Amino acid sequence: MHQTKNGRQTTQTRPSTYLNEAVAIWLRDLRSEFRTRYALNAILMFAVTTLIAVSFSIGSFRIEEAERPFLYAVLLWIILTFSALSGLARSFVKEEEAGTMDILKLSARPQAVFLGKLLFNLTLLGAVELIIVPSFILLMAYQINFPGFFIAMIISGGIGLAAGTTIIAAMISRASARGALFSALSFPLLLPLMITAIKGCERAAVGIGTAGWPEVKMAVAYVIVMVIMSLFLFPLVWEE
Amino acid sequence: MIVRALLTTWMAVIIIAAFLYAEAAQGFPGETSRILFFHVPQAWIATLAFLISMIASVLYLAKRNVKADYIAQSAAELGFLFCVLATVTGSIFAKATWGSFWNWDPRQTSIVILLMIYGAYFALRSAVPDTERKRVFAAAYSILAFAAVPFLVFVVPRITSSLHPENTMNPASPGMDPKTLKVFLGSLFAYTGLFVWMLRLKIRILTLEGWRVRDLFR
Repeated sequence: MHQTKNGRQTTQTRPSTYLNEAVAIWLRDLRSEFRTRYALNAILMFAVTTLIAVSFSIGSFRIEEAERPFLYAVLLWIILTFSALSGLARSFVKEEEAGTMDILKLSARPQAVFLGKLLFNLTLLGAVELIIVPSFILLMAYQINFPGFFIAMIISGGIGLAAGTTIIAAMISRASARGALFSALSFPLLLPLMITAIKGCERAAVGIGTAGWPEVKMAVAYVIVMVIMSLFLFPLVWEE
Repeated sequence: MIVRALLTTWMAVIIIAAFLYAEAAQGFPGETSRILFFHVPQAWIATLAFLISMIASVLYLAKRNVKADYIAQSAAELGFLFCVLATVTGSIFAKATWGSFWNWDPRQTSIVILLMIYGAYFALRSAVPDTERKRVFAAAYSILAFAAVPFLVFVVPRITSSLHPENTMNPASPGMDPKTLKVFLGSLFAYTGLFVWMLRLKIRILTLEGWRVRDLFR
Protein backbone atom coordinates (compact mmCIF):
# COMPACT_ATOMS: atom_id res chain seq x y z
CA MET A 1 0.00 0.00 0.00
CA HIS A 2 1.16 3.51 -0.78
CA GLN A 3 0.07 6.84 0.57
CA THR A 4 -0.64 9.30 -2.21
CA LYS A 5 -0.47 13.08 -1.79
CA ASN A 6 -4.10 13.48 -0.86
CA GLY A 7 -3.91 10.70 1.64
CA ARG A 8 -5.76 7.99 -0.32
CA GLN A 9 -4.41 4.50 -0.34
CA THR A 10 -3.69 2.76 -3.63
CA THR A 11 -2.43 -0.69 -4.28
CA GLN A 12 0.87 -1.00 -6.00
CA THR A 13 0.35 -3.05 -9.12
CA ARG A 14 3.10 -5.03 -10.70
CA PRO A 15 3.28 -4.75 -14.47
CA SER A 16 1.52 -7.88 -15.68
CA THR A 17 3.32 -10.05 -18.19
CA TYR A 18 1.87 -12.52 -20.64
CA LEU A 19 3.09 -15.33 -18.46
CA ASN A 20 1.50 -14.29 -15.18
CA GLU A 21 -1.75 -13.37 -16.93
CA ALA A 22 -1.79 -16.82 -18.50
CA VAL A 23 -1.00 -18.47 -15.19
CA ALA A 24 -3.72 -16.45 -13.47
CA ILE A 25 -6.29 -17.65 -16.01
CA TRP A 26 -5.02 -21.20 -15.70
CA LEU A 27 -5.29 -21.15 -11.87
CA ARG A 28 -8.73 -19.55 -12.02
CA ASP A 29 -9.95 -22.22 -14.43
CA LEU A 30 -8.44 -24.94 -12.30
CA ARG A 31 -10.19 -23.56 -9.23
CA SER A 32 -13.57 -23.34 -10.93
CA GLU A 33 -13.05 -26.79 -12.46
CA PHE A 34 -12.15 -28.16 -9.04
CA ARG A 35 -15.45 -26.85 -7.67
CA THR A 36 -17.70 -28.28 -10.36
CA ARG A 37 -15.50 -30.93 -11.99
CA TYR A 38 -17.77 -30.60 -14.98
CA ALA A 39 -15.22 -30.89 -17.78
CA LEU A 40 -13.10 -33.53 -16.08
CA ASN A 41 -16.13 -35.67 -15.28
CA ALA A 42 -17.45 -35.37 -18.81
CA ILE A 43 -14.17 -36.31 -20.49
CA LEU A 44 -13.28 -38.97 -17.99
CA MET A 45 -16.68 -40.65 -18.16
CA PHE A 46 -16.53 -40.62 -21.93
CA ALA A 47 -13.03 -42.11 -21.86
CA VAL A 48 -13.86 -44.73 -19.25
CA THR A 49 -17.05 -45.76 -21.04
CA THR A 50 -15.21 -46.21 -24.34
CA LEU A 51 -12.38 -48.03 -22.63
CA ILE A 52 -14.81 -50.43 -20.97
CA ALA A 53 -16.67 -50.97 -24.23
CA VAL A 54 -13.41 -51.75 -26.04
CA SER A 55 -12.05 -53.93 -23.29
CA PHE A 56 -15.32 -55.80 -22.85
CA SER A 57 -15.85 -56.52 -26.53
CA ILE A 58 -12.25 -57.27 -27.46
CA GLY A 59 -10.66 -58.39 -24.22
CA SER A 60 -6.95 -58.93 -23.86
CA PHE A 61 -6.53 -62.12 -25.87
CA ARG A 62 -8.98 -61.84 -28.75
CA ILE A 63 -6.50 -60.14 -31.06
CA GLU A 64 -3.59 -62.15 -32.50
CA GLU A 65 -0.30 -61.41 -30.77
CA ALA A 66 1.31 -60.08 -33.97
CA GLU A 67 -1.55 -57.66 -34.60
CA ARG A 68 -1.66 -56.29 -31.08
CA PRO A 69 0.96 -53.48 -31.20
CA PHE A 70 -0.77 -51.74 -34.10
CA LEU A 71 -4.41 -52.39 -33.17
CA TYR A 72 -3.90 -51.45 -29.52
CA ALA A 73 -2.22 -48.20 -30.54
CA VAL A 74 -5.20 -47.44 -32.81
CA LEU A 75 -7.73 -48.21 -30.06
CA LEU A 76 -5.84 -46.19 -27.45
CA TRP A 77 -5.61 -43.12 -29.68
CA ILE A 78 -9.22 -43.36 -30.76
CA ILE A 79 -10.21 -43.34 -27.09
CA LEU A 80 -7.90 -40.42 -26.26
CA THR A 81 -8.75 -38.30 -29.32
CA PHE A 82 -12.49 -38.64 -29.03
CA SER A 83 -12.41 -38.11 -25.26
CA ALA A 84 -10.52 -34.87 -25.90
CA LEU A 85 -13.08 -33.90 -28.55
CA SER A 86 -15.91 -34.60 -26.13
CA GLY A 87 -14.73 -32.16 -23.48
CA LEU A 88 -11.97 -29.75 -24.43
CA ALA A 89 -14.41 -27.24 -25.94
CA ARG A 90 -15.69 -26.72 -22.43
CA SER A 91 -12.89 -24.25 -21.58
CA PHE A 92 -14.40 -21.57 -23.81
CA VAL A 93 -18.01 -22.67 -23.91
CA LYS A 94 -18.29 -22.16 -20.17
CA GLU A 95 -17.16 -18.54 -20.50
CA GLU A 96 -19.84 -17.95 -23.10
CA GLU A 97 -22.51 -19.65 -20.99
CA ALA A 98 -21.57 -17.83 -17.80
CA GLY A 99 -21.34 -14.51 -19.64
CA THR A 100 -17.79 -13.93 -18.46
CA MET A 101 -16.31 -13.55 -21.94
CA ASP A 102 -16.33 -9.73 -21.89
CA ILE A 103 -14.73 -9.48 -18.47
CA LEU A 104 -12.02 -11.88 -19.57
CA LYS A 105 -11.42 -9.75 -22.66
CA LEU A 106 -10.91 -6.70 -20.48
CA SER A 107 -8.69 -8.35 -17.93
CA ALA A 108 -6.12 -10.15 -20.05
CA ARG A 109 -4.39 -9.91 -23.37
CA PRO A 110 -5.62 -12.36 -26.03
CA GLN A 111 -2.40 -14.36 -26.28
CA ALA A 112 -2.39 -14.74 -22.50
CA VAL A 113 -5.99 -15.99 -22.61
CA PHE A 114 -5.00 -18.50 -25.24
CA LEU A 115 -1.99 -19.72 -23.25
CA GLY A 116 -4.01 -19.92 -20.04
CA LYS A 117 -6.73 -21.98 -21.71
CA LEU A 118 -4.12 -24.14 -23.39
CA LEU A 119 -2.52 -24.82 -20.00
CA PHE A 120 -5.91 -25.68 -18.58
CA ASN A 121 -6.71 -28.05 -21.43
CA LEU A 122 -3.29 -29.65 -21.02
CA THR A 123 -3.93 -30.20 -17.32
CA LEU A 124 -7.30 -31.71 -18.07
CA LEU A 125 -5.93 -34.00 -20.76
CA GLY A 126 -2.98 -34.92 -18.56
CA ALA A 127 -5.34 -36.01 -15.80
CA VAL A 128 -7.38 -38.07 -18.27
CA GLU A 129 -4.26 -39.71 -19.75
CA LEU A 130 -2.97 -40.47 -16.26
CA ILE A 131 -6.07 -42.53 -15.59
CA ILE A 132 -6.88 -43.94 -19.02
CA VAL A 133 -3.45 -45.02 -20.28
CA PRO A 134 -2.49 -47.22 -17.27
CA SER A 135 -6.02 -48.69 -17.21
CA PHE A 136 -5.78 -49.45 -20.91
CA ILE A 137 -2.40 -51.14 -20.43
CA LEU A 138 -3.76 -53.25 -17.56
CA LEU A 139 -7.08 -54.16 -19.13
CA MET A 140 -5.69 -55.03 -22.55
CA ALA A 141 -2.40 -56.63 -21.39
CA TYR A 142 -0.53 -54.15 -23.57
CA GLN A 143 3.13 -55.19 -23.94
CA ILE A 144 5.40 -52.16 -24.26
CA ASN A 145 9.07 -52.68 -25.04
CA PHE A 146 10.17 -49.05 -24.86
CA PRO A 147 8.36 -47.44 -21.90
CA GLY A 148 10.35 -44.18 -22.13
CA PHE A 149 9.47 -43.69 -25.78
CA PHE A 150 5.86 -44.71 -25.12
CA ILE A 151 5.49 -42.15 -22.33
CA ALA A 152 7.09 -39.43 -24.47
CA MET A 153 4.67 -40.29 -27.28
CA ILE A 154 1.64 -40.15 -24.97
CA ILE A 155 2.74 -36.81 -23.52
CA SER A 156 3.66 -35.15 -26.82
CA GLY A 157 0.52 -36.53 -28.47
CA GLY A 158 -1.59 -35.20 -25.60
CA ILE A 159 -0.01 -31.76 -25.92
CA GLY A 160 -0.73 -31.94 -29.65
CA LEU A 161 -4.41 -32.72 -29.01
CA ALA A 162 -4.71 -29.66 -26.78
CA ALA A 163 -2.66 -27.42 -29.09
CA GLY A 164 -4.76 -28.30 -32.14
CA THR A 165 -8.14 -27.84 -30.49
CA THR A 166 -7.88 -24.85 -28.16
CA ILE A 167 -8.40 -22.20 -30.84
CA ILE A 168 -11.20 -24.26 -32.37
CA ALA A 169 -12.88 -24.27 -28.95
CA ALA A 170 -12.74 -20.46 -28.92
CA MET A 171 -14.43 -20.38 -32.34
CA ILE A 172 -17.18 -22.85 -31.67
CA SER A 173 -18.13 -21.23 -28.35
CA ARG A 174 -19.74 -18.47 -30.45
CA ALA A 175 -21.47 -20.82 -32.84
CA SER A 176 -24.59 -22.91 -32.67
CA ALA A 177 -24.49 -26.75 -32.55
CA ARG A 178 -21.24 -26.58 -30.59
CA GLY A 179 -20.53 -30.19 -29.71
CA ALA A 180 -20.84 -31.61 -33.19
CA LEU A 181 -19.09 -28.64 -34.73
CA PHE A 182 -16.10 -28.96 -32.41
CA SER A 183 -15.43 -32.52 -33.54
CA ALA A 184 -16.07 -31.72 -37.19
CA LEU A 185 -13.63 -28.80 -37.17
CA SER A 186 -10.95 -30.40 -35.02
CA PHE A 187 -10.76 -33.83 -36.57
CA PRO A 188 -9.18 -32.88 -39.92
CA LEU A 189 -6.57 -30.85 -38.05
CA LEU A 190 -5.85 -33.66 -35.59
CA LEU A 191 -5.65 -36.48 -38.12
CA PRO A 192 -1.92 -36.03 -38.97
CA LEU A 193 -1.14 -36.00 -35.25
CA MET A 194 -3.29 -39.04 -34.61
CA ILE A 195 -1.62 -41.06 -37.36
CA THR A 196 1.80 -40.03 -35.98
CA ALA A 197 0.88 -40.99 -32.43
CA ILE A 198 -0.49 -44.36 -33.54
CA LYS A 199 2.73 -45.12 -35.41
CA GLY A 200 4.74 -44.02 -32.39
CA CYS A 201 2.86 -46.22 -29.95
CA GLU A 202 3.10 -49.15 -32.35
CA ARG A 203 6.85 -48.62 -32.54
CA ALA A 204 7.10 -48.52 -28.74
CA ALA A 205 5.28 -51.84 -28.47
CA VAL A 206 6.71 -53.78 -31.35
CA GLY A 207 10.37 -53.32 -30.49
CA ILE A 208 11.74 -52.36 -33.90
CA GLY A 209 13.92 -49.74 -32.25
CA THR A 210 13.25 -46.13 -31.43
CA ALA A 211 16.36 -44.54 -32.92
CA GLY A 212 15.91 -40.80 -33.38
CA TRP A 213 12.41 -40.79 -31.86
CA PRO A 214 10.89 -39.70 -35.22
CA GLU A 215 7.24 -39.76 -34.13
CA VAL A 216 7.88 -37.78 -30.96
CA LYS A 217 9.80 -35.17 -32.94
CA MET A 218 6.96 -35.03 -35.43
CA ALA A 219 4.40 -34.47 -32.67
CA VAL A 220 6.58 -31.74 -31.15
CA ALA A 221 6.86 -30.05 -34.55
CA TYR A 222 3.07 -30.24 -34.88
CA VAL A 223 2.65 -28.64 -31.46
CA ILE A 224 5.05 -25.82 -32.35
CA VAL A 225 3.29 -25.08 -35.66
CA MET A 226 -0.19 -25.18 -34.14
CA VAL A 227 0.73 -23.01 -31.14
CA ILE A 228 2.45 -20.38 -33.28
CA MET A 229 -0.44 -20.28 -35.78
CA SER A 230 -2.91 -20.08 -32.90
CA LEU A 231 -1.00 -17.22 -31.25
CA PHE A 232 -1.26 -15.29 -34.53
CA LEU A 233 -4.89 -16.12 -35.21
CA PHE A 234 -6.32 -16.16 -31.71
CA PRO A 235 -6.39 -12.36 -31.15
CA LEU A 236 -8.46 -11.99 -34.34
CA VAL A 237 -10.88 -14.71 -33.31
CA TRP A 238 -11.04 -13.56 -29.71
CA GLU A 239 -11.71 -9.90 -30.37
CA GLU A 240 -14.40 -10.58 -32.95
CA MET B 1 -19.76 -13.37 -73.78
CA ILE B 2 -17.06 -14.02 -76.36
CA VAL B 3 -14.87 -15.52 -73.64
CA ARG B 4 -17.63 -17.91 -72.67
CA ALA B 5 -18.16 -18.97 -76.28
CA LEU B 6 -14.44 -19.57 -76.68
CA LEU B 7 -14.31 -21.56 -73.47
CA THR B 8 -17.25 -23.72 -74.53
CA THR B 9 -15.66 -24.44 -77.89
CA TRP B 10 -12.28 -25.17 -76.32
CA MET B 11 -13.82 -27.52 -73.77
CA ALA B 12 -15.73 -29.36 -76.51
CA VAL B 13 -12.56 -29.70 -78.60
CA ILE B 14 -10.69 -31.09 -75.60
CA ILE B 15 -13.40 -33.64 -74.83
CA ILE B 16 -13.44 -34.87 -78.42
CA ALA B 17 -9.63 -34.89 -78.61
CA ALA B 18 -9.39 -36.77 -75.31
CA PHE B 19 -11.36 -39.65 -76.81
CA LEU B 20 -10.42 -39.55 -80.47
CA TYR B 21 -7.09 -37.77 -80.97
CA ALA B 22 -4.97 -38.94 -78.06
CA GLU B 23 -4.01 -42.58 -77.90
CA ALA B 24 -4.63 -44.76 -74.85
CA ALA B 25 -1.45 -45.13 -72.84
CA GLN B 26 0.34 -48.48 -72.66
CA GLY B 27 0.05 -50.53 -69.50
CA PHE B 28 -3.48 -49.57 -68.58
CA PRO B 29 -6.49 -51.80 -69.17
CA GLY B 30 -8.52 -50.70 -72.18
CA GLU B 31 -9.22 -47.02 -72.47
CA THR B 32 -8.83 -46.27 -68.75
CA SER B 33 -5.80 -44.04 -69.20
CA ARG B 34 -8.04 -41.38 -70.77
CA ILE B 35 -9.06 -40.43 -67.24
CA LEU B 36 -5.84 -38.41 -67.23
CA PHE B 37 -7.53 -35.66 -69.25
CA PHE B 38 -10.33 -35.16 -66.73
CA HIS B 39 -9.26 -36.44 -63.34
CA VAL B 40 -5.88 -34.71 -63.07
CA PRO B 41 -7.17 -31.23 -64.01
CA GLN B 42 -10.01 -31.68 -61.50
CA ALA B 43 -7.57 -32.55 -58.74
CA TRP B 44 -5.38 -29.62 -59.79
CA ILE B 45 -8.36 -27.24 -59.56
CA ALA B 46 -9.33 -28.64 -56.14
CA THR B 47 -5.84 -27.90 -54.83
CA LEU B 48 -5.62 -24.52 -56.57
CA ALA B 49 -8.99 -23.51 -55.09
CA PHE B 50 -7.82 -24.51 -51.62
CA LEU B 51 -4.73 -22.33 -52.07
CA ILE B 52 -6.75 -19.38 -53.41
CA SER B 53 -9.19 -19.70 -50.54
CA MET B 54 -6.34 -19.61 -48.02
CA ILE B 55 -4.66 -16.58 -49.62
CA ALA B 56 -7.98 -14.72 -49.80
CA SER B 57 -8.53 -15.58 -46.12
CA VAL B 58 -5.18 -14.04 -45.18
CA LEU B 59 -6.11 -10.96 -47.21
CA TYR B 60 -9.47 -10.75 -45.49
CA LEU B 61 -7.93 -10.91 -42.02
CA ALA B 62 -5.36 -8.28 -42.98
CA LYS B 63 -7.60 -5.81 -44.81
CA ARG B 64 -11.14 -6.79 -43.72
CA ASN B 65 -12.24 -6.39 -47.30
CA VAL B 66 -15.56 -8.15 -47.91
CA LYS B 67 -14.53 -8.97 -51.45
CA ALA B 68 -11.67 -11.12 -50.12
CA ASP B 69 -14.15 -13.13 -48.09
CA TYR B 70 -16.36 -13.61 -51.15
CA ILE B 71 -13.33 -14.94 -53.01
CA ALA B 72 -12.42 -17.27 -50.14
CA GLN B 73 -15.96 -18.63 -49.89
CA SER B 74 -16.44 -19.01 -53.64
CA ALA B 75 -13.08 -20.72 -54.10
CA ALA B 76 -13.88 -23.10 -51.25
CA GLU B 77 -17.27 -24.02 -52.70
CA LEU B 78 -15.89 -24.62 -56.18
CA GLY B 79 -12.89 -26.42 -54.71
CA PHE B 80 -15.24 -28.75 -52.89
CA LEU B 81 -17.14 -29.44 -56.12
CA PHE B 82 -13.95 -30.28 -58.03
CA CYS B 83 -12.66 -32.27 -55.07
CA VAL B 84 -15.78 -34.46 -55.17
CA LEU B 85 -15.41 -34.86 -58.95
CA ALA B 86 -11.75 -35.86 -58.59
CA THR B 87 -12.60 -38.32 -55.83
CA VAL B 88 -15.38 -39.95 -57.82
CA THR B 89 -13.46 -40.19 -61.09
CA GLY B 90 -10.39 -41.44 -59.23
CA SER B 91 -12.45 -44.03 -57.46
CA ILE B 92 -13.91 -45.32 -60.72
CA PHE B 93 -10.39 -45.54 -62.15
CA ALA B 94 -9.26 -47.38 -59.01
CA LYS B 95 -12.02 -49.96 -59.53
CA ALA B 96 -11.07 -50.44 -63.15
CA THR B 97 -7.34 -50.81 -62.56
CA TRP B 98 -6.67 -51.76 -58.92
CA GLY B 99 -9.84 -53.78 -58.41
CA SER B 100 -11.54 -51.82 -55.66
CA PHE B 101 -13.25 -48.47 -55.39
CA TRP B 102 -11.52 -47.63 -52.17
CA ASN B 103 -8.33 -48.95 -50.57
CA TRP B 104 -6.91 -45.96 -48.63
CA ASP B 105 -4.19 -45.32 -51.10
CA PRO B 106 -2.16 -42.27 -49.93
CA ARG B 107 -3.79 -40.18 -52.66
CA GLN B 108 -7.24 -41.24 -51.52
CA THR B 109 -6.34 -40.47 -47.91
CA SER B 110 -5.17 -36.97 -48.71
CA ILE B 111 -8.19 -36.14 -50.86
CA VAL B 112 -10.55 -37.34 -48.12
CA ILE B 113 -8.87 -35.02 -45.64
CA LEU B 114 -9.20 -32.16 -48.10
CA LEU B 115 -12.92 -33.00 -48.40
CA MET B 116 -13.26 -33.09 -44.61
CA ILE B 117 -11.59 -29.70 -44.27
CA TYR B 118 -13.90 -28.19 -46.87
CA GLY B 119 -16.87 -29.78 -45.12
CA ALA B 120 -15.80 -28.40 -41.74
CA TYR B 121 -15.28 -24.97 -43.31
CA PHE B 122 -18.88 -24.89 -44.58
CA ALA B 123 -20.20 -26.25 -41.28
CA LEU B 124 -18.42 -23.44 -39.47
CA ARG B 125 -19.75 -20.82 -41.86
CA SER B 126 -23.32 -22.01 -41.45
CA ALA B 127 -23.11 -22.29 -37.66
CA VAL B 128 -21.96 -18.77 -36.83
CA PRO B 129 -24.92 -16.39 -37.00
CA ASP B 130 -23.02 -13.09 -36.98
CA THR B 131 -21.80 -12.21 -40.50
CA GLU B 132 -18.60 -10.40 -39.56
CA ARG B 133 -17.64 -13.05 -37.01
CA LYS B 134 -18.42 -15.84 -39.45
CA ARG B 135 -15.98 -14.36 -41.96
CA VAL B 136 -13.17 -14.02 -39.43
CA PHE B 137 -13.66 -17.52 -38.06
CA ALA B 138 -13.85 -19.09 -41.49
CA ALA B 139 -10.68 -17.28 -42.56
CA ALA B 140 -8.84 -18.31 -39.39
CA TYR B 141 -9.93 -21.93 -39.83
CA SER B 142 -8.87 -21.95 -43.45
CA ILE B 143 -5.37 -20.77 -42.52
CA LEU B 144 -5.12 -23.22 -39.62
CA ALA B 145 -6.14 -26.11 -41.85
CA PHE B 146 -3.57 -25.06 -44.40
CA ALA B 147 -0.89 -25.21 -41.70
CA ALA B 148 -1.92 -28.70 -40.57
CA VAL B 149 -2.15 -30.29 -44.01
CA PRO B 150 1.61 -30.46 -44.81
CA PHE B 151 2.10 -32.84 -41.90
CA LEU B 152 0.12 -35.41 -43.82
CA VAL B 153 2.80 -35.61 -46.45
CA PHE B 154 5.14 -37.03 -43.83
CA VAL B 155 2.74 -39.24 -41.94
CA VAL B 156 0.51 -40.85 -44.52
CA PRO B 157 1.78 -44.41 -44.61
CA ARG B 158 3.31 -45.96 -47.70
CA ILE B 159 3.56 -42.62 -49.43
CA THR B 160 6.29 -43.99 -51.64
CA SER B 161 4.39 -47.13 -52.51
CA SER B 162 1.25 -45.48 -53.79
CA LEU B 163 -0.52 -47.27 -56.61
CA HIS B 164 -1.33 -43.91 -58.10
CA PRO B 165 0.14 -43.77 -61.60
CA GLU B 166 2.30 -40.70 -61.82
CA ASN B 167 5.65 -41.90 -63.07
CA THR B 168 4.06 -43.48 -66.10
CA MET B 169 1.82 -40.54 -66.83
CA ASN B 170 3.80 -37.60 -65.56
CA PRO B 171 3.73 -34.84 -68.18
CA ALA B 172 7.25 -33.82 -67.18
CA SER B 173 8.69 -37.26 -67.78
CA PRO B 174 10.00 -37.88 -71.28
CA GLY B 175 7.90 -41.04 -71.57
CA MET B 176 4.68 -39.20 -72.26
CA ASP B 177 3.24 -39.39 -75.73
CA PRO B 178 3.33 -35.93 -77.40
CA LYS B 179 -0.32 -36.21 -78.48
CA THR B 180 -1.34 -37.06 -74.93
CA LEU B 181 0.74 -34.20 -73.61
CA LYS B 182 -0.93 -31.74 -75.98
CA VAL B 183 -4.44 -32.79 -75.00
CA PHE B 184 -3.53 -32.92 -71.32
CA LEU B 185 -2.13 -29.40 -71.26
CA GLY B 186 -5.13 -28.20 -73.27
CA SER B 187 -7.45 -29.80 -70.74
CA LEU B 188 -5.57 -28.26 -67.84
CA PHE B 189 -6.01 -24.89 -69.52
CA ALA B 190 -9.70 -25.54 -70.21
CA TYR B 191 -10.43 -26.58 -66.63
CA THR B 192 -8.56 -23.59 -65.23
CA GLY B 193 -10.56 -21.31 -67.55
CA LEU B 194 -13.78 -22.99 -66.46
CA PHE B 195 -12.80 -22.56 -62.83
CA VAL B 196 -11.97 -18.87 -63.24
CA TRP B 197 -15.26 -18.27 -65.03
CA MET B 198 -17.26 -20.11 -62.35
CA LEU B 199 -15.33 -18.34 -59.61
CA ARG B 200 -16.11 -14.91 -61.02
CA LEU B 201 -19.76 -15.86 -61.41
CA LYS B 202 -19.95 -17.07 -57.82
CA ILE B 203 -18.25 -13.94 -56.50
CA ARG B 204 -20.75 -11.81 -58.45
CA ILE B 205 -23.65 -13.76 -56.94
CA LEU B 206 -22.29 -13.30 -53.43
CA THR B 207 -21.70 -9.60 -54.03
CA LEU B 208 -25.29 -9.15 -55.24
CA GLU B 209 -26.65 -11.10 -52.27
CA GLY B 210 -24.54 -8.95 -49.98
CA TRP B 211 -26.07 -5.82 -51.48
CA ARG B 212 -29.60 -7.06 -51.14
CA VAL B 213 -29.24 -7.94 -47.46
CA ARG B 214 -27.42 -4.71 -46.67
CA ASP B 215 -30.10 -2.65 -48.42
CA LEU B 216 -32.85 -4.41 -46.52
CA PHE B 217 -31.45 -3.40 -43.17
CA ARG B 218 -30.45 0.12 -44.12
